[in-house]
Amino acid sequence: MPQDLAEIYRTTYRALVRFLYRKVWDAARAEDLAQEAFARAVVHKPDNARGWLFIVAANMARDDARRAARERRHLTLLKAEPQSEPATDDAVHAETERTQVRAALEQLTPRDREVLLLWDSGLSYDEIAAQTGLARGAIGTTLARARRRLVEAYEAGRSGEHVARG
Amino acid sequence: MSHVDDGILHSYLDGELSAAEAREVDAHVAHCPDCRRRLDEERALIARAAELLAVATPPDRALPPFRAGDVKAPTRLWWQVRLPLAWAATVALALGIGTYLGRDVQRAPEAEAARSTAATPSPTRAESPKQELARRETRVAAPGAARTPPAAPLGPPQPRARVDNIALPPPEPVRSADTAAAGVADRVRLEERAARIALRKESGDERSQWQKGDAISIDSARRVLGTDPLVVPGVPIEALYRGRAIGYADVVIVEQALDATTMIEVINARTAPQLLDQVVVASAPAARPELARAADSLAAVAKRPAPLAAKAAGQVRPDLFRDVRGPLSADSLAALRRRLQPLRAATGP
Repeated sequence: MPQDLAEIYRTTYRALVRFLYRKVWDAARAEDLAQEAFARAVVHKPDNARGWLFIVAANMARDDARRAARERRHLTLLKAEPQSEPATDDAVHAETERTQVRAALEQLTPRDREVLLLWDSGLSYDEIAAQTGLARGAIGTTLARARRRLVEAYEAGRSGEHVARG
Repeated sequence: MSHVDDGILHSYLDGELSAAEAREVDAHVAHCPDCRRRLDEERALIARAAELLAVATPPDRALPPFRAGDVKAPTRLWWQVRLPLAWAATVALALGIGTYLGRDVQRAPEAEAARSTAATPSPTRAESPKQELARRETRVAAPGAARTPPAAPLGPPQPRARVDNIALPPPEPVRSADTAAAGVADRVRLEERAARIALRKESGDERSQWQKGDAISIDSARRVLGTDPLVVPGVPIEALYRGRAIGYADVVIVEQALDATTMIEVINARTAPQLLDQVVVASAPAARPELARAADSLAAVAKRPAPLAAKAAGQVRPDLFRDVRGPLSADSLAALRRRLQPLRAATGP
């Protein structure tokens, strides 16, 4: 791996995994995809490797989600209920929270979600603008909307759950 | 002055405004309580959003090493690959096949000739051992032929059959059968020991094992060893040196020039405890040989019968053992070793 790419790997790998995880919702899968994105970067030697990595990762995650959806359809035909291992209260709680955040994220528009996830991955407004094709001046507004919707959707989901429980 | 919109506030809080824009926001917020309150709200919102995203994070793991094995080069089907020199490769391939086939055609008559030669009875085999011995001695002693014989063993390995033929010892005329057998057993044991020592030397630094000291005369070498040093006959002697090596009492190193670039060292050494002469042929300017190759030559040592020429000279004690190491092929080194003779016999009186 070239020197500059090695440096980007060191600084960006975790962010890329996080970015991917919020799309595929499987840690191991996210790592695999991140590794593959870097592997492709080694071959393609893009000019702006960091931004390029996130574009490639986003595309891979989208393809992966399609494939996963296809496989899920097949799987649901095969077995009625997925096996889940017994978990501790903490683990259950963490898992519940994660599911709620995931549900909230999925209520955002794809563009809002993408901008938010890219910002959270450490990309600058300039990089996000280049990535998404939005004007740089629109990034702040998009982020403001995305954040608000995320928090609102999350709170709505929780209260809805409390109502359902109570 | 108009209020600051959410986008600007978030850009401001994200630190993505230019210095001038940020100053404007500061100035406005300073005298606008509404915007100050909104600024705090947006700050809390950003923190809350980041908090939620942090929940949706995979378990933090140490940075794994980059898995280079995952690299999939952009796959191209072979017919899509344009090789700039494909035509050259085609020509080269055609020439190669042509040469290969042509060589076989040329070889055929040669093989025919070889077969007819083989059919005639070999004169060497017909000779009595005595005659053969005499023939050998004259060849060895002839100074004119000095440079020619060593060239052969240094070339590509000779066919095994021929080498064995040369090394075949004549019937022992003097000694009785059982003393000869005992001698052979001794020699085999010594050679096994030599093999072990040589292997040890291979794994260590072979070059530092034998340290060359001062140059000495042939007479001093004889005095040091108490006998004539062994040399490869017919190969010009460059110099003799007093040597030093751990585990050896008396060491004489004879430098001989095989050709302009290859210097061999014939090491005559007496091991300290057993007072045995030890002769090692090592190649001076060469890299350390492969262990496998050494093992090869050591196997040759074990199988090799007593050297004919040395016996003829009558001065080499049977407790001598030879060990050949160096970058030359095992066959070449074995051939050189077989040629070793006492200096007097090799150069004449």
